[in-house]
Amino acid sequence: MDLLAIPRLVFEFAVYLLTVLPDLLPIILALATPLALGALCGVLNERSGVVNIGIEGMMLMSAFFGYLTGFALHQTVGSAVAIWLGIAVAVGVGALLGLLHAWLSVSVRADQIIAGTMMNIAALGVTGYLNRLIITPSGRGGAGVIPPFRIPPELADLPVVGPILAMFLDQGPIAMSVIVFVLVLQFGLFRTRWGLRTRAVGEHPKAADTLGIDVFRQRYLNVILGGALAGLAGAFLTLESTGSFQNGMTGGRGFIALAAMIFGRWTPVGSFLGALLFGTATAFGVVVSVRPAEGDLGVILRSIPTFWYAALPYLLTVVILAGVVGRSVPPAADGVPYAKEGKA
Amino acid sequence: MKRLNPLALISILAILSTSCGTLGIGGGLKIGMVTDIGQLEDKSFNEFSWKGVQDGAKAVGGTAQVIVTKDIADYKQNIQQFVDQKYDVIVTVGFLIGTDTLAAAQANPGIQFFGIDQFICVPADANDKECKGKVPDNYQGLVFNEAQAGYLAGIVAGTITKSGKIGAVGGRSDVPPVVNYIKGYENGAKSVKSNVQVLVNYTEDFNAPDKGEASAKTMISQGADVVFQVAGLTGAGVLRAACNAKVWGIGVDVDQYLSLPDLQSCIVTSAEKRLQNAAGEAIKRFKDKGKQSGNYTNDATNAGIGASPIRNLSPVPAGLEDKIKQATEDMKSGKLKPV
Repeated sequence: MDLLAIPRLVFEFAVYLLTVLPDLLPIILALATPLALGALCGVLNERSGVVNIGIEGMMLMSAFFGYLTGFALHQTVGSAVAIWLGIAVAVGVGALLGLLHAWLSVSVRADQIIAGTMMNIAALGVTGYLNRLIITPSGRGGAGVIPPFRIPPELADLPVVGPILAMFLDQGPIAMSVIVFVLVLQFGLFRTRWGLRTRAVGEHPKAADTLGIDVFRQRYLNVILGGALAGLAGAFLTLESTGSFQNGMTGGRGFIALAAMIFGRWTPVGSFLGALLFGTATAFGVVVSVRPAEGDLGVILRSIPTFWYAALPYLLTVVILAGVVGRSVPPAADGVPYAKEGKA
Repeated sequence: MKRLNPLALISILAILSTSCGTLGIGGGLKIGMVTDIGQLEDKSFNEFSWKGVQDGAKAVGGTAQVIVTKDIADYKQNIQQFVDQKYDVIVTVGFLIGTDTLAAAQANPGIQFFGIDQFICVPADANDKECKGKVPDNYQGLVFNEAQAGYLAGIVAGTITKSGKIGAVGGRSDVPPVVNYIKGYENGAKSVKSNVQVLVNYTEDFNAPDKGEASAKTMISQGADVVFQVAGLTGAGVLRAACNAKVWGIGVDVDQYLSLPDLQSCIVTSAEKRLQNAAGEAIKRFKDKGKQSGNYTNDATNAGIGASPIRNLSPVPAGLEDKIKQATEDMKSGKLKPV
């Protein structure tokens, strides 16, 4: 047995990763976008003390109604306008569903897990039914997708800078907007009055109430804003990524988003990194078979069934939730409805 | 069977009466079809199977009825509805409904069952992996030679590629039809350009268009200028990436130029299973020759597979259509093996 075999393999693997980096980078952000937006929705909700497991359903509904808008209008107003209207409708639908979730969780004080589950089931049924009723029989297509931004080839071909630029700039507008949202929310949550109030009602609503913060108003606001972000994630799926609607197309992304949120310890930047990690795991699974490694490393990587690469993001979820990243503590009042004294 | 099911008896009588040429009450064969999960107008398996069943019913002077399956758990009871209503022929669609179809066929020997895209495997015992058990006399699986269809798609890809690199994205590596399509595709492309490089990726997921898009994007950045999708919904992302990068995409199963209007601009052809033809012919076979059993392969010899018309290329490269025709002929005669 060659003593150096293992270090050599590790070295080869590192070299391999570096060589495929230019292929990995440009596809990560698009894979991470719906997860990141969903995770931000989760952060906004849970930081203010509302658990939302209905992100999946919110995404699906928004994806559908956004697509439907584009589908209905693109022949009269043109594709570009129809797509943007579709995105606006998707965000609006997300916000409306946020309002519904806020009403159930905050005003009615329903069980938040059940409210979220209802959202997911209802979304599947409503979109599946309307899709069958309106879109499929027509045999027509939708409005298409927003064309991705293209960086000039001279820049893209630069040795090191090119792929990095491509990672962030060779993308559609929604994918690029994610970075802005992450930074704005990170700043907002920890550096503004709104953020302080949000965290206060999520940690200790009674204390916040005593200090004159309207707990209900704050929670409503955050859940609605979160819904709008989930709506944008839905719009990404139908109007930026695939250009079509399929029943159940969210495929669990709303739940992986929650894992990304936990990985990021309920912070926007952390959640984004979590989403990027999942995106990278998926991207690696793709690249490893399209650009196989050479030598012994190639033999080893090829001998692993492709299922394991496909399962990588989910394995990561398990590892993360098992606490490898350290204990991740949710906001203290997360999921606990607030009742004003004397009213309960 | 300990007790003869009276319904089964009636169905046997019904079949006997029709096959003797005397029309039963209501006239002709009653043909029922149970779809796979989803919708009838799916522009894919359900829709084209249904068209074929209707063609078949018309050809034999029968009537056709369809039940759309909403959930995997409903397969059994949907089949049973037709059994209870004394249908003569029951057609079920898709690989997943195969187990319930087999059970229904065993329980109702008087009814003819056809399973579209179902390879019937009856193990003789728990250890038998080679399907040595007996297939019921009244159950025929309609399977397709995907490798031949893939081969024809490969000829197109090999002809139109300028870079000498082409790609294929598969849904799952443990689903034999998917693998067969892609193997045929590789060989077809190499028959045209022996040094063509084929990049293959299995996403292990039929429902992830974003993964499909990422796969195709990577292949295209590696220089591939034709991508073939054999990946269901994941494949829509593959074709989308092709459209975005202005390279060619090849569809699968049905003519996707028609089934995916959003992506028409970059679909050059599709590797087709001729579902409509297969379903219609099966019903005619039953009418003409009686009970059908075993696995019936639809391939080049019976126009069961093919390549969709070439789209978007003007002019169509010289000799391409002849090459496809020639390969189809050679597969028909057995001279050409796609895998």
